[in-house]
Amino acid sequence: MSDIIWGTVTKIISTNSFEMNVSHQKDTNQDSYQDVEEINFTEIDIPSIPADENSRNVSQIEENLKDKFVKCEISGRNSENRLVCAVSHSGAGGY
Amino acid sequence: MWSPQILLEPSSYNELISGKIPALIVPKILSKTECASLSSKISNIQTTDKKPKKFGTSLSSHIYEKPQYFSNAKTSNDFLKKLFAENTSPIISMRETISKVFQKQLTTATENGMSYSDAVIRIHGNNDSVHLHRDNSHFEMSHYNVSCLKNQLSAILYLQSPEEGGELTIFHKMWNRNDECMREPDFGYSSELIKDVKQTKISPVEGNMVILNPKFYHQIEHVNGLRNRISIGFFFGELSKNYLCSWS
Repeated sequence: MSDIIWGTVTKIISTNSFEMNVSHQKDTNQDSYQDVEEINFTEIDIPSIPADENSRNVSQIEENLKDKFVKCEISGRNSENRLVCAVSHSGAGGY
Repeated sequence: MWSPQILLEPSSYNELISGKIPALIVPKILSKTECASLSSKISNIQTTDKKPKKFGTSLSSHIYEKPQYFSNAKTSNDFLKKLFAENTSPIISMRETISKVFQKQLTTATENGMSYSDAVIRIHGNNDSVHLHRDNSHFEMSHYNVSCLKNQLSAILYLQSPEEGGELTIFHKMWNRNDECMREPDFGYSSELIKDVKQTKISPVEGNMVILNPKFYHQIEHVNGLRNRISIGFFFGELSKNYLCSWS
């Protein structure tokens, strides 16, 4: 089982990366994570963000992710020290 | 004192939007007999044991599944029409009352010729509660046209009161974007957000309809006893000055 963290997206860095404030970490995570992490997303489960990176732009990512609460399933760290993750929105703030 | 207003005459939408009052209570929009008949029908629907039980499609369960939402909305709208066929429809009573209260027309929202879900029935049994949350389609359901409606409000009609508990608690704190850092992974927000915040409690009295601004944090307290708390509700917002659209 991969490690999972949750938090809000604070800054979009590129069409496949963002910065987030980590507010929750799964109890059974193998590693621990900083309060602020940069995420490199390899998969994104949000239909309005194209799966193909070449079809995306930063403002589109911003519109869909900025300030949103997301779930990141971690597969490792890349050479830029970013967490490599599959990203999805998590739960709901209300009904 | 921040307390709900019992409604006796047409009211202003703005008092709810601004938070001047936490809620409007419209008493006895259905009689006790009508509520008992509807509750009996609802209680007899065969379902799985999922708690709390819910009948009807809700947008929050389909944030990223738009085609599925509209398909399920059609099925659930047909189901509710059939369920209420021999009674006074609580959905129609709620719509008519809201129209009178705000002096605006109200219909279920549509998108590309497809109807949104009319309403959701929720059944909360012994020890059930709903954690602290807010409802805001503008922020969370931006893929749907109803996210563009102005000034979302929520209407809830109680069809059956529990023996004890099940109050709706509304906190005098409106959601803002910065609160997202206080989200809980599955649903709602950390209770830290409303520590020392003024609150008001509304008892779920059968036949009464409550209208609130759901951007103010709210929660449902634990239900105690064997009799379920049964309610039906939907959201609505302003399409134009004199026209409201609803969804759930």
